[in-house]
Amino acid sequence: MGLEFLVRVRKSSLWASLVVALLIARYVRPIDGWAVALGVLWSLANLSLIERLVVALTGPGRRDPAGVRRTLQAAAGMTALFGLGAVLLATLPAQSLLWGFLIPLVVIVLKAASLLLLGSRGWKRFARDPRRVAGLLVILGLAAWAAAPLWVGAQEHGASSPSPGATHAAASSGGEHGENEGPQKFTNFVTLLARAFPDAPWAHFLHEFEVLIFSLLVALLLVVVAWRASRDPRLIPGPFQNAVEYLVETLNDFIVGILGPVHGPRYVPFLGSLFVYILAMNLFGLIPFMDSPTSSLNVTVALALVVFVYSQYIGIRGLGVIGYLDHLAGNPRTAISWGLVPLMLPIHIMGELAKPISLSCRLFGNVFGEDMLLVAFVTLGITSVSFLHSPIGLPLQLPFLFLALLTSTLQALVFTVLSTIYFLLMLPHDDHGHEGEEQHAH
Amino acid sequence: MDFHAALGWGLPVGIGLAAIGSGIGLGGIGNGAMQAIGRQPEATGKIQLAMIIIAALAEALTIYAFVTMFLLQGKIG
Repeated sequence: MGLEFLVRVRKSSLWASLVVALLIARYVRPIDGWAVALGVLWSLANLSLIERLVVALTGPGRRDPAGVRRTLQAAAGMTALFGLGAVLLATLPAQSLLWGFLIPLVVIVLKAASLLLLGSRGWKRFARDPRRVAGLLVILGLAAWAAAPLWVGAQEHGASSPSPGATHAAASSGGEHGENEGPQKFTNFVTLLARAFPDAPWAHFLHEFEVLIFSLLVALLLVVVAWRASRDPRLIPGPFQNAVEYLVETLNDFIVGILGPVHGPRYVPFLGSLFVYILAMNLFGLIPFMDSPTSSLNVTVALALVVFVYSQYIGIRGLGVIGYLDHLAGNPRTAISWGLVPLMLPIHIMGELAKPISLSCRLFGNVFGEDMLLVAFVTLGITSVSFLHSPIGLPLQLPFLFLALLTSTLQALVFTVLSTIYFLLMLPHDDHGHEGEEQHAH
Repeated sequence: MDFHAALGWGLPVGIGLAAIGSGIGLGGIGNGAMQAIGRQPEATGKIQLAMIIIAALAEALTIYAFVTMFLLQGKIG
């Protein structure tokens, strides 16, 4: 256990605190979420200052002037942090702040415990058979499943304790309102569960996060497929391995063909899994009792934001901060183009911001529209033979199912191709004169 | 004119207008791509790729109108 352990602790507690702060901001109060996040930051800053102090006091060169200065700096930082903490305690809810402060410490304890457990001989003997580990994971998952309703119930009680009647009434009327107002979709199994257990808090919880559940299901499916295909690679592949390898090779050739052999291979994993993931999510809605996660704007906006942030990162890393600003200003070299900078800069920034909006709206609109089309024709098929009082209608939606297959594939392809093009525009290339090339070469 | 009535008229008509524009654009794109493929059949792959990208851009305009319709549909009442 060295300093890299602390780095890992810092990373894990940042992620954990992000999730916890968002959940608390959503379910309790936004200010409590802020308090938890600030508490985590406080605790992390505290830890890193202590780490620096210890290194400066015990490390080599502690008698040098530089070492003394480091010690003094760390001590001054601690003092400033205590002052800041007092201000925070006075302004924000102290309890949430304290919980946030405890998160990194909990992460440290859990991490150390898991390191000790995973390194022990008993665990190695236990893990020799992967089926036993899988069984343990399943048991843990079931235990969490059984414990979740208690936890959610406790939280709901805590949240609704000020005025239980009012919140319940608001929640139920909100639910009914949403069901009546929005366009009706096909029933999926989460909706069925929520209808079967209208009073259970966990069913409400699932219903609220149904999009996440379906996207996680899709991700799990893809993980299982990839694991099965790459678990036992053969020189002469079986049909399953062959199919997956064909897909990967085609995607690789396609993306490298656009980005070029120099930059291409680096981005193939991201863009290829984007394609496979979106395709699987689009097609998931065609399975009965399932729903396409991409028919919700939340998912497509998230995907587009990932692409947006990544492409800006590529631009900044490839061109440098100055080069990136130069790129945004339209590469001014002459007096005329310098004069055009006030015009070009807003245009380029607007163009960059329009990209994720258009990406997400296109995917959402296509998948959602396809779902609506199917719903409309199923309804038409049922109403057209309603005089027979049969539960099954005419299969009028059949031709549109094939259309849906086409749209799903095409939209996944379009999303991937456009992301690739955005990456290509951000990568250093020849169109921008030789300066970009030289900067990149250095 | 009443707000609801204006929306009830405007949303379908707006989608139709957007579809007309996208249709003209898609026709032009398909026309150009088919001619290019006819002249240079060996470049079919590249031309098709570019065609799909531009077609997606043109088609997106109708999709925006469609999304707007769904956003405002609940207000027709």
